[in-house]
Amino acid sequence: MNTLVSLLNAAVLAGTPLLLATCGEILTEKSGSLNLGVEGMMYMGAIAGLAGAWYVEQWFGHGGLLAAVFAFVFAFLCGALGGLIYAILTVSLRANQNVTGLTLAIFGTGFGKFFGEVLGHKAGGYVTVNAETKAMYGRINFGKLSEIPVLGTLFFKYNWLVYFALAVAILLGWFLNRTRKGLSLRAVGESPGTADSAGISVTRYRYLAALGGGGLCGLGGMYMSMVDQKGIWVHDCISGYGWLAIALVIFATWNPLRAIYCSIIFGGLSVMYMYVPISGLPLPIYRMFPYIATIIVLIITSMMQIKEHAQPAGTGLNYFREER
Amino acid sequence: MQHLRKWLVVLLCVAFVITLVACDKKPDEPKPTDVAPTEGEPGEPTEAPPPASDGVTLENIKLGFVHITDPSDMGYTYNHDLGTQKMARELGLTDDQIVNKFNTAEDAACEAALRELVEQGCHIIFATSFGFEDYVMEVASDYPDVEFCHASGYQAAVSEMPNVHNYFGKIYQARYLSGIAAGLKTENNLLGYVNAYPFAECIQGFTGFYLGAKSVNPDVEMIVMNTDSWNDPQKEAQVAKALIEQGCDVIGQHCDSTAPATAAEAEGAFHVGYNSDMIGAAPNATLTSAVWDWSRYLILAVSNYVDGKAIPKDWGEGLAEGAVDISRLNEALVAPGTAEAIEAAREKIVSGDWDVFTGPLVNNQGEVVVKEGETYIEPASSPAWEHILEGVTMIGD
Repeated sequence: MNTLVSLLNAAVLAGTPLLLATCGEILTEKSGSLNLGVEGMMYMGAIAGLAGAWYVEQWFGHGGLLAAVFAFVFAFLCGALGGLIYAILTVSLRANQNVTGLTLAIFGTGFGKFFGEVLGHKAGGYVTVNAETKAMYGRINFGKLSEIPVLGTLFFKYNWLVYFALAVAILLGWFLNRTRKGLSLRAVGESPGTADSAGISVTRYRYLAALGGGGLCGLGGMYMSMVDQKGIWVHDCISGYGWLAIALVIFATWNPLRAIYCSIIFGGLSVMYMYVPISGLPLPIYRMFPYIATIIVLIITSMMQIKEHAQPAGTGLNYFREER
Repeated sequence: MQHLRKWLVVLLCVAFVITLVACDKKPDEPKPTDVAPTEGEPGEPTEAPPPASDGVTLENIKLGFVHITDPSDMGYTYNHDLGTQKMARELGLTDDQIVNKFNTAEDAACEAALRELVEQGCHIIFATSFGFEDYVMEVASDYPDVEFCHASGYQAAVSEMPNVHNYFGKIYQARYLSGIAAGLKTENNLLGYVNAYPFAECIQGFTGFYLGAKSVNPDVEMIVMNTDSWNDPQKEAQVAKALIEQGCDVIGQHCDSTAPATAAEAEGAFHVGYNSDMIGAAPNATLTSAVWDWSRYLILAVSNYVDGKAIPKDWGEGLAEGAVDISRLNEALVAPGTAEAIEAAREKIVSGDWDVFTGPLVNNQGEVVVKEGETYIEPASSPAWEHILEGVTMIGD
């Protein structure tokens, strides 16, 4: 029982950066842009968040809340910058979406590592934030609540970004399915031509969705550098989570609410070997579990062909008004 | 639409492969095609003639290094690079005499990097990661005039190529000392160990660590969990957390990043590092680290080359010579008496009368692997100890 509770707790922590990035990608794909550059945007957010916090400490002499706010804003903006590059190339210049996304993944990875290095040289070899800033990413103090057996560990032993990610997913679900603007966004993604005829600006929606989606991916990256690595720049800190997030979008069938539990399942599968050892099963095979799960879900969703669970019809295609 | 979905599936499959295999690695560089192998056979069986150092002096010698990560890992590569810098300072080499190939994967990228270093005119090439060895052997057979030195490998001694050398050291002696700090600190009598792979170099390391802890705390046990990677910070942090949740209160590590240190600090546990003084990363958790001083070997290799003397085939020094040691103790955290206990053990090892793997040692199947009164001696450069001792549990084998 204790093992299961610990596993779930670790699964939520491992799933949170995935949830943020997945929400970002769902927002982007719902508008009709298939941005495969999530890994890159996460790297951009990871380094920008760390740099934001570190510079605040250098400028003001102390970290803490201010550093966390700056890290948040910087990470969002830098992730959005990645989204902007993507939108300019695909929406305005009508470059191929897949190629652009893959290029962005490579670009962002290099961006993160390069500036991580630069920052390391500036800091004398070792970028690390101070204890005050680190504490901002520790567990929230819920007092007695986190002492409750089982429930305490399951619900009240997380940092604030976990709850933030949850709120983002719920808000995004509400926005897409319950608001007028969300409806327009979905229309742009399903059939840009129809949306255009109805007077909805395809360009504006796709730009804003790419920016917002990129920003959320950036926050997912910030989670990995600030929470998982505790504010130290480590090369390879994203370690493929961006690709997992893209798979999760399909796993969650483009639904932000479903992404919540899917990300926990995914996170759980990736840390399961640490809690539930299966003797005789080689570790490299055990570590494939999340990937195998994705492939199975891919096959099942392709076979079932449920319209509601399908990718928005216009995703991956650039919109030319003249070719309507 | 149907078409698009197909492409999406294909793309994702490609992405999985990339993720699984090498998403964090530098893409393979194209191999130089104009390299004609000068000698296919691995040389005549010889009495290792001294390297051809005609006219090569400290002023014009050129050294190449191939590293698996770069110094920002604050671990293995960082520390090896410190050794390079120290060697350069002591021998008066300038920066342009040293060519570093960082972030080289243990695949064809390594071969390309080695060949590029040869093309750039390096006289001695150091390859610092275990998985580079096969590529080193291959490239070395093509360039008999260039000296190749590989860390932690085992093939030089048995190969007939005079230009290949292995170097490593008795890091288990340093780990033994750092284990003493852990053994005195633990309250649950349970240590955790974030381990890269279940093979000799790592097993030797954590066995040394465990024996050190056990020497001061006979009840101590240890859980070892593998990450299946030299450098996966995300996994390392998760493994450290999982170990702490299973009751471990001091975390040791054999992996490249500081993630176990910071994870231990966040969970209120303690930590013993590897490769670099990690107190800066986790001032409230890290007790000390087992560290290398690679400059000893690098200075020896370079001076021998310049003097026209042979570079040792199989080099491995320990605590007594200063090739390995522990970093400063975190005085605010270590248990009282730690420094004294470590000093006593150090004297015992340095005196040469006693070594870490002294019997009786029993493995976790209950078989005696080293008898009472006997001492197992590691081969100089390549660790070979593969027994998991009683009291040690390995997860993820």
